[in-house]
Amino acid sequence: MAKKKTIFSQEVIVAFVLIALYLIFRTISSDFGKYTTFLSMMDISYYYVLMAIGVAFPLITGGVDLSIGTGMICYALAGGFLIRNYNCPTGLAILVSIMFGVVIGLFNGVLISVLGLPPFLATLCNCMITRGLGSVVTGSFAVPWPTAKQANGWFHAIFKITTADKTKIPLGLVWIFLLMLLMQFILAHTRFGRYTIAIGSNKEAAVLSGINVKFYHVMVYMVSGLFAGLASIAYAAVIKTVQPGTGAGMELDAIGGAIVGGVSASGGYGTIYGTVIGAYVIIFLKQGLPYIGFNANMQQIITGLVLIGAVCIDIIKRKVIV
Amino acid sequence: METIKNNPIIKKLGFNRIILFIILLLMYGVFSVIIPGFASKARLMSILNYVYFLGFLALGVTFVIATGGIDFSIGPVMFCCALMAGYSLNTFGMPVIVSLLLTIAIGVCFGCFNGFLVAFVGVPPFIVSMATMNIAKGLGSVFTKTQSVSWPQSNDPSGNGWFRNLVKVNGIPTGLIALAIAAIVLYIVMNNTRAGRFILCLGSNKEAVRLSGVDVRKWQMLAYVICGTMAGIAAIFFVSAYTTVQPGLGDTYNNEAIASCVMGGTSMGGGLASIGGTLIGVFVISLLQEGIMAMRMTKEVQMIITGLIVIVFVYADVSARRRRN
Amino acid sequence: MGEVILTMDSIDKTFPGVHALDHVNFELRRGEVHALMGENGAGKSTLMKVLTGIYTKDSGTITFEGKEVEYHNTREAQDAGIVIVHQELNMVGDLTVAQNIFIGREFRKGIMIDDRKMIRESKKLFDELHIDIDPRARMSDLTVGKQQMCEIAKAISHKAKIIIFDEPSAALTEKEIEDLFTIIRGLRAQNLGIIYISHRMDEIKVITDRVTVMRDGTYVGTLITNDCTKEDIINMMVGRVIYEEPKTHSMVPDDAPVVLKVEHLNAGKMVQDVSFELRKGEILGFSGLMGAGRTETARALFGADPRQSGDIYINGRKVTINSPEDAVKNGIGYLSEDRKRFGIVVQKTITENSTLSTLKEYMAGLFINKKAEKTVTEQYIRELDTKTPGADQLVVNLSGGNQQKVVIAKWLVRNCDILIFDEPTRGIDVGAKNEIYKLMNRLAAEGKSIIMISSEMTEILRMSDRIIVMCEGKKTGEIPIEQATQEAIMDKATRDIG
Repeated sequence: MAKKKTIFSQEVIVAFVLIALYLIFRTISSDFGKYTTFLSMMDISYYYVLMAIGVAFPLITGGVDLSIGTGMICYALAGGFLIRNYNCPTGLAILVSIMFGVVIGLFNGVLISVLGLPPFLATLCNCMITRGLGSVVTGSFAVPWPTAKQANGWFHAIFKITTADKTKIPLGLVWIFLLMLLMQFILAHTRFGRYTIAIGSNKEAAVLSGINVKFYHVMVYMVSGLFAGLASIAYAAVIKTVQPGTGAGMELDAIGGAIVGGVSASGGYGTIYGTVIGAYVIIFLKQGLPYIGFNANMQQIITGLVLIGAVCIDIIKRKVIV
Repeated sequence: METIKNNPIIKKLGFNRIILFIILLLMYGVFSVIIPGFASKARLMSILNYVYFLGFLALGVTFVIATGGIDFSIGPVMFCCALMAGYSLNTFGMPVIVSLLLTIAIGVCFGCFNGFLVAFVGVPPFIVSMATMNIAKGLGSVFTKTQSVSWPQSNDPSGNGWFRNLVKVNGIPTGLIALAIAAIVLYIVMNNTRAGRFILCLGSNKEAVRLSGVDVRKWQMLAYVICGTMAGIAAIFFVSAYTTVQPGLGDTYNNEAIASCVMGGTSMGGGLASIGGTLIGVFVISLLQEGIMAMRMTKEVQMIITGLIVIVFVYADVSARRRRN
Repeated sequence: MGEVILTMDSIDKTFPGVHALDHVNFELRRGEVHALMGENGAGKSTLMKVLTGIYTKDSGTITFEGKEVEYHNTREAQDAGIVIVHQELNMVGDLTVAQNIFIGREFRKGIMIDDRKMIRESKKLFDELHIDIDPRARMSDLTVGKQQMCEIAKAISHKAKIIIFDEPSAALTEKEIEDLFTIIRGLRAQNLGIIYISHRMDEIKVITDRVTVMRDGTYVGTLITNDCTKEDIINMMVGRVIYEEPKTHSMVPDDAPVVLKVEHLNAGKMVQDVSFELRKGEILGFSGLMGAGRTETARALFGADPRQSGDIYINGRKVTINSPEDAVKNGIGYLSEDRKRFGIVVQKTITENSTLSTLKEYMAGLFINKKAEKTVTEQYIRELDTKTPGADQLVVNLSGGNQQKVVIAKWLVRNCDILIFDEPTRGIDVGAKNEIYKLMNRLAAEGKSIIMISSEMTEILRMSDRIIVMCEGKKTGEIPIEQATQEAIMDKATRDIG
């Protein structure tokens, strides 16, 4: 399974695909090239990319986290609910949202690592549970977060700022970039990252090397939960009013992004920068297709097919090289 | 306790299934006591409406789980079938019978697609499920231009509403008969045909079956095809009971179908499956859904409960397996 | 040789149904390479697993550096300085060499792993050992030999006092073995105690100082390597009383036709250019040591694993076998060495297992004719004398011997003319063993042809009409039963190196 670092690594190819997609959409549709289009696309990208970065870790261990989509909505609902009903300071609400994500991640981790449930099943159950919890907490009502103009709406500025001459700057891109670097660093240069890869590559060997595999395996799902929590803030900043009962299916775009970006569906290999590039490919497809005359719902079909295509490539690659 | 368990009749029926059945009766009793008017015929019919389509879904997915796989795309697939065929019926003036056949045919196609990818290409089942779930939702939306689709009412002047007799004729729940027939047929398939035998055996030990000279890929794919077909049939019963289908939905039903299977004693590890258990599980879930609705709680409460049920039953199964080995 | 560093005294260990170690003694000195020898199943690996904490002993004492010790897992043993280099490599293929060597005890700078230092230290280790491996290479990109070297480097980096090599040379080329010996000599010079498990007689002569021989879970004796001959060691290894007379002559008539001919079979490293013939009514024994490629040959022949080349003829007609399905169609049945994984479907009944490969014949239209199925199953339960309350019993509830009979029944129901029995009596008690032997003889007399792979010398000598010996993926000998002796077979099976 030689994954040599040639210029043809999947990450590089996907980066080219991303550029090609952008150019194609731009050529066909003049609207696609507008700055406002770019801005709204970036707005939407943040929460998908954050989820993708998080879910890359379970995927690298050979597992999966299906609870991130509905989870994200649930955490956003919880935070918004605190602000609206209890006048909770925004900072605290954000913290609660994020911690909520970590707790659900912990729950996933315990089910999978300690109790031995199959990852897809445990996280599928948590997908249902978070979806239900979000509705139960808010009484099934939509929850608005403060708007950018309100005093406690400062968190919007995390992702987008307006300069004196009314230009809007997608500041979130900077955070995404920094988080990407941070998580790539953690994956490549800390024990946690190393053991994440080891679990996905050869769990038995990791156990025999005296690594506390159970602990790190739980941590992996907590990271995934943490990033779903972060995504919930990005979601609240963009979507403004959070609807309970939504979020199902969003995990697919995040997981698809990670796999397109070279994370192996069978575990053991992946990069965070690849994940981010892959996630952007999916977002470009989602957002760009309507501009060139496709039905907006086509993107669901296409992301489904892209996911299967990416996994097939991974399978064939392994078969050929072994 | 042990002597009860070893009683031949109880053994034949399955101790756990009897317990589940008793739980079902108890639940009905409790709901009847705490919810005024729960023990009415209208409620019962409402429960049954839910039982029909969920029953077909769950029976189908039992085969996939028996192979040790999973399919959580069946809810959206069911909706996709109902949307595409219903849209064709309303827009192209397709005869009802053709629409019904189309419903099933679409289900079969999805089953073939999933089965081929899992058995012949080797894509992990959960990834196939995820992708298919989105493809089904997308197809349903694209095809209907994101409009909900209403199938004809039973008193439709065109006379196209006759298919509704599938669930109810003059207050007689004919759907129950249909479901019973399906369950008996699938019971026979599972226990008395080569397909069922190989599906169960490969779920238990795929390599041993392959080394016995059996083309396991073919049979593994068949399980997904059965599952898809049943999702198509479920779609017919769904529209017969509820008329209107909206695009973009359906994923809550996967979980309920899977929950019915694991409650009924079908093992997530594959190799063990119980058609009868699945059916009882379906009744439990449907009763739960009705009870929660009657208590004026939301569907979401039920989702939480279903999620917890699955966790508990799968954990019981996982630890039982661990003890055996 | 220095003072005694390790004493294992009267170690006893019983597994359900097997007395794996029967009061075994072992002693190791500093600066010594001590060979541990014995046939497969003699208890060498079990003894080492007791030492490194993978198994707990039932009784006996282990004294290490003058203190009595007992380890509960490999980590504790490692920390104390006892390290094992496994036969099956324990490597995380997706990590680099340096990352693997220091896995679980990475150097750190703050929260960051100090990869540079790990690479430097690995380099140092490799330099000490005079091995040329790039510590930055991905583990799965290396050859098996190089991976083995990494395991050794990892062992040394633990500041080991005792290093156990469990058949280290099995996957190595001659050049790599020489490198390995240089390394071992270097370690000996540093006063480490080294336990060396191997089957290769000539290696033992070259590298070791003393030899301890085990047989059937018991301690046989310890010799000074320089004072003994290869024959002495072989005699100690095989010297059990053979309670059953070996076959003296072939039972196959001279004019028996060839039913199976295999020519130049190649499948990976473990099957290299294997050719042989099997005649009607013959029991063809495949002898050799663990990892000689016998099972791989059988699996390639059966279509269970892909093969690169080779022709198969059945009754003189060339056949294509690309899957087990093809093999079964051509009348070949395969009884796997690993019953639980490849033989039986444990959660299913005897009936369901018995008709697994013949289900088509028990169909009444679309449905399984359960009555016919049961009749035939019961017939074979009687014929094979399977001990079970009934045909509906789950196979998981049967003993090993009876499970084996169920697998045999599966192929008898199929009426296969060629049967491959891979370690047919492994994990089966003596009584059931004899029944299976009788059954095989009867089948051969009825005109079926049997390939029997066995690691038990007595079994080979007792059952075979002809014996093929394999070593390292190659056929190294073909011996008619009239000329076969344990020594002759062992000689071919432990081929010299270089």
